[in-house]
Amino acid sequence: MSGSNFLLVNYVPGTSPIHRAPLWLKFLGVFASGMASFLIVDWAVSAGVLALMCALFLVSGAGVRRLFRAVRPVLPVLLVIGLFQWWQLGAPTAGRIVLNILVCIVAASLLTATTPIQRLLDGVVSAARPFQRFGADPERFALTIAIMLRSIPYIAGAYSDVRDSARARSLERNPRARILPVFITTVAFARQTGDALAARGLGEADD
Amino acid sequence: MNSIVLDQVSVEVVVDGAAGSKVLLTGISLTLTEQRVGVIGANGSGKSTLLRLLNGLVEPSSGRVTIKGKDTLRDVRSVRREVGFVFTDPLSQLVMPTGREDVELSLRRSIRNSHERRRIAESTLERFGLLPLADQSIYELSGGERQLLALATVLAVEPSVLVLDEPSTLLDLRNRELLRRTVAGLEQQVVMSTHDLELVQDMDRVLVVDNGRIVFDGAPGAAVAHYRQLSATSLPPLPPAAPAVQEAREPLGAHPGDYQ
Repeated sequence: MSGSNFLLVNYVPGTSPIHRAPLWLKFLGVFASGMASFLIVDWAVSAGVLALMCALFLVSGAGVRRLFRAVRPVLPVLLVIGLFQWWQLGAPTAGRIVLNILVCIVAASLLTATTPIQRLLDGVVSAARPFQRFGADPERFALTIAIMLRSIPYIAGAYSDVRDSARARSLERNPRARILPVFITTVAFARQTGDALAARGLGEADD
Repeated sequence: MNSIVLDQVSVEVVVDGAAGSKVLLTGISLTLTEQRVGVIGANGSGKSTLLRLLNGLVEPSSGRVTIKGKDTLRDVRSVRREVGFVFTDPLSQLVMPTGREDVELSLRRSIRNSHERRRIAESTLERFGLLPLADQSIYELSGGERQLLALATVLAVEPSVLVLDEPSTLLDLRNRELLRRTVAGLEQQVVMSTHDLELVQDMDRVLVVDNGRIVFDGAPGAAVAHYRQLSATSLPPLPPAAPAVQEAREPLGAHPGDYQ
């Protein structure tokens, strides 16, 4: 499984101001980046915000390589979105949309690069605690986030492996040979993960 | 006293599109008190189903499974605290991106204090020689390191029974030996299924499973001999070789001196 090539940016130990920033502030930053994608209407402003996020990423010490690894998997999708929007709405709007998506990705990567996952999960548990009175289980919220972070690179790795297998059999142009095994692998992974969590007693109601 | 009891256990599953159900295990009655129990058998014989019963991952269709007196159906949470389970493929077991985070995840259930969790996680990783790799991506670890990490994540919560489902299948010789030594040093009761007949020699008791039944139960040497015999008798006859293959073989066999 080539999932390592598709890892979301892992925590990078460090003592930068961003590492030391309170978790709520980082969450707020990610939330603001998401909101900015609705509020910013000028591509030049979007470019400025993206430059700022990239600068913060480099200040954190996570490095250019990790920054590139964070955005590389979505570049083909962004290219398609950009071309479509250019055709539909013109270049400035297409540029703004693509840049705003990149802002969100870099902001989220900055959060995961400067926050240990356990701290992130503790933060999610704290944030979800008020919902306990409505029957929500904060630990399950945290576990869901953890599984999501784990599953994205796994599925991306599965797609890469299946693509290589299809190439080896000269079936790279056959969509069924490229998509169907990924679905099967994903379902099997979900079942295995469920079994593994159950075996470890994680996510049970009394947690 | 560590004691695993299976009383007249059968497991049947309904197969889509097939009439009736498929029997995975039938009429299993066992009391396991030995520290090291091995389970061997062919693929699809029912080994994994037998092991999964011990952690409550599979429910018996009839009969009863108890671990230290706790029923795996009624007290499943309590059973899972007693019984740690290690899967064949550690990648399907490890949930977090790094080893440290995964061990800490195991501890979240029992330890709320994050500093305490981190301290115990580090001491667990150190015990298995994995502390230098604690912050490395699980994808960057070798197969052996991953399997040891999976073991560490399970042992961090100190179960009294450890179930390992073919843990050496994906390992090379060196890592297999590493796993063998690690398991040998554990204080837990171990129940392990494996295709590795050398690993079985370390066990106190070995069960041979065939077609959903325990067909032999005894010492490792006799169990392996029984399993070999069983495998040999169940082999289908070889199809005749294609004429071209026969022709290619004949000169080599008939006239070895021709090539000297």
